[in-house]
Amino acid sequence: MAEHVTCQEVVELVTDYLEHALPADEAALFEQHINFCDGCEWYLEQMRTTVAAVGRIEEEDVPPETREKLLAAFRDWKRA
Amino acid sequence: MIAYKFLRRDGSSVFTGFRWPLPEGAPGAWVDAPVDPCRSGIHACRPAGLPYWLGRSLYEAELAGDIVEERTKLVASRARLLRPVSAWNDSLRDEYTRMCADRAHALAASPPLGQWDAVIEPSVPEGPALLGFVAARIAEERHGAEGYRDERARQTAWLVERLGLQDDTAS
Repeated sequence: MAEHVTCQEVVELVTDYLEHALPADEAALFEQHINFCDGCEWYLEQMRTTVAAVGRIEEEDVPPETREKLLAAFRDWKRA
Repeated sequence: MIAYKFLRRDGSSVFTGFRWPLPEGAPGAWVDAPVDPCRSGIHACRPAGLPYWLGRSLYEAELAGDIVEERTKLVASRARLLRPVSAWNDSLRDEYTRMCADRAHALAASPPLGQWDAVIEPSVPEGPALLGFVAARIAEERHGAEGYRDERARQTAWLVERLGLQDDTAS
């Protein structure tokens, strides 16, 4: 088992952490990293704030034209 | 079971923000939470876990109810704070940070690990938790995972001695 996680791994794991989807041992390594890394602590707080704000929006709350623009943007982004 | 818990300076939990009932001449009130490691429950540690969770204020805590032991922490359904560990103050925090920085330099010295040595002094203002990690990480570069764990054990021994705690790492 790993002794620690990197900043890159924190970025990859943050959603699972916030959704309580990480196994206990991985969550512990995640929190150990947050405990010493100010940059990742700040990133986690930003993600928490974003989820709290955006997580309240239901799919039907998004106007059709906005939905189309977002889908188009994601399609182009994937091609880029 | 006696364990240890780091809190922010204002007595709140580092990860949940929960405001703990602090001991004031007598133990603080009991707090209850169902155990589900890293989701719910009261998190604390044995002395061997201290280097991984260093924070601003340290308390001795009594754990009760369901207790789950993990690699570096304990999760309990019931706990109360018994007393502040007043030896963990700004002066000792600085001393520990310097000890870890010096260890890190020594570990990076021969043969030289220049890129690692260069990060040590700029990390000092970030405090003891980061410097403990840096020293252990350099030990890992030298000796693999065992080196990392050995350095953490060395840090535990330093803390146990300076804080006047009972070393339970063998239990």
